[in-house]
Amino acid sequence: MTQLALQHYLAVGAIMFCIGLIGFMTRRNLIVMFLCTELMFQGVAINLIAFGKFHGNLSGQAFTIFVLVIAAVEASMALGLVVLLFRQKNTLNADAWKELKG
Amino acid sequence: MVLVSSALSIPLAANTTAAIQPVMILLLCAAAGIGTVFLLPGKREASLRNIGGLIVAAIGLIFAALLVKFAAGTAAGGMNVYFWVFAAIALFGAVRVVTHPRPVYAALYFVLTVFASAGLFILLWAEFMAAALVLIYAGAILVTYVFVIMLAAQSTSTRAADVVAEYDTISREPLAATAVGFALMGVLLFVIFDKAADLYPTTTSIADTSLQVDGNTQELGRYLFQHQLINVQLSGLMLTLGMVGAILIARRKVVVHQSGPIVPEVLNTPATPTDDSPYSIPVSGTDNPRAKAFPET
Repeated sequence: MTQLALQHYLAVGAIMFCIGLIGFMTRRNLIVMFLCTELMFQGVAINLIAFGKFHGNLSGQAFTIFVLVIAAVEASMALGLVVLLFRQKNTLNADAWKELKG
Repeated sequence: MVLVSSALSIPLAANTTAAIQPVMILLLCAAAGIGTVFLLPGKREASLRNIGGLIVAAIGLIFAALLVKFAAGTAAGGMNVYFWVFAAIALFGAVRVVTHPRPVYAALYFVLTVFASAGLFILLWAEFMAAALVLIYAGAILVTYVFVIMLAAQSTSTRAADVVAEYDTISREPLAATAVGFALMGVLLFVIFDKAADLYPTTTSIADTSLQVDGNTQELGRYLFQHQLINVQLSGLMLTLGMVGAILIARRKVVVHQSGPIVPEVLNTPATPTDDSPYSIPVSGTDNPRAKAFPET
C-alpha cells in the first residue's frame, strides 16, 4: 500500500515526457532522436499505470501494454528507416536531410 | 538527499497547503531551463556544462523537497523511500540521455531509466508491466538501438574510437527547444498540482482493493481477454505489419558482380544415392531440379 499521492507519479511522468521532448528537438543524431521518443513513451506509461492504480482498475495497465506494442513497432520501423537513410548519405545527422523542409 | 531528509525530519504542521504554489513551479521551471541550456552538448567549455548540471540537480532537489512537504501535507502522509530513489534515478538517466554527446552512452542511460521506471511500476503494484518493460525495452528495443548505433559508428569513424561526430556535440536550437519543453513542463505541473482534486475518482467505491492482493497478473490477463480482445488482436496485427514494414524498408538490393562468362552448372557424373530410401534420390542438372538422375524405368 503506497502512501504517496497520485501527483508524485504524474509529476515524474510529466518531467520525463518534457525531457524527452527537449531531447527530440535539440539532438541532431537520428538514433538519439528516436531514443528520446522512447523516453516520452516511458513518461506516458508511468502516467497511465499511476492512474490505473489510483483509480483501482486495470485499464491503465492494459493501455500500457498497447503503448509498449506501439513502441516496439515504432522502434523497428524507425530503425529500419534510419538504416535506410544512413545508407544514402553515410551519416546519422538529421540536418543532412534539410531539403525535405522544402 | 540532505535536503530531503532535513525536510522530512521537520514536522511540517504549519504547511497544510494542498499544492505547490504556481509561482514556485514557474520559477523552478525557468531556472531548470537555464540549467538545461548550459547542460546540453554544445561548443561551451566543460566547466559551464558542470554548472548547468549542478543547477539542474539543485532544482531537482528543491522540487523533491517541495513534493516531500506536499506528501506530508496530504491526509495519507507518510513516506516511501523507494519512490524517491527510483524517481531520482529515472530522471537522472533521462537527463543524461538527452545531454550525453555519445549515442551509445545515451542508450545505456536509457536502460538505467527503464530499470528505474520498472521499479516505479512495482511500487504501483504493476509487476507484470515492470517485467514486460524490462524484457521489451531493456531486452529487445535497446539492443536493437545499440546494434544500429554500433553499425553506424563502425562504418563512419574508422579512424579513432574517441572521435565523437560533429553533429553529436552541437545541439540544435538549445534555447528555443528548452523554452518550449519547460513551458510545457510548467503547464503540466501546474495542472497536476492545482487541479489535484479532479484527478481522483469521484467515488471511492470504484477503487477496488482486489488489485492489491495476490499479484494482479492473472487479473490483468482476464481483463485483457475479456474486455480488450479486439485490441489485443489489433496489436498482434500491428506487430506483424511492423515486422513486414521493417523488412521491406531496410532490405538491400544485392548486386552480384561476376567476372567472366556465366558457365551453367553441370553435373558430370551421375550422382549416387546415399542410401536405398526412395526419398533420397538426388537430382542433377540445373534447368530442371525435378529431373532425377535415376528415373524410375
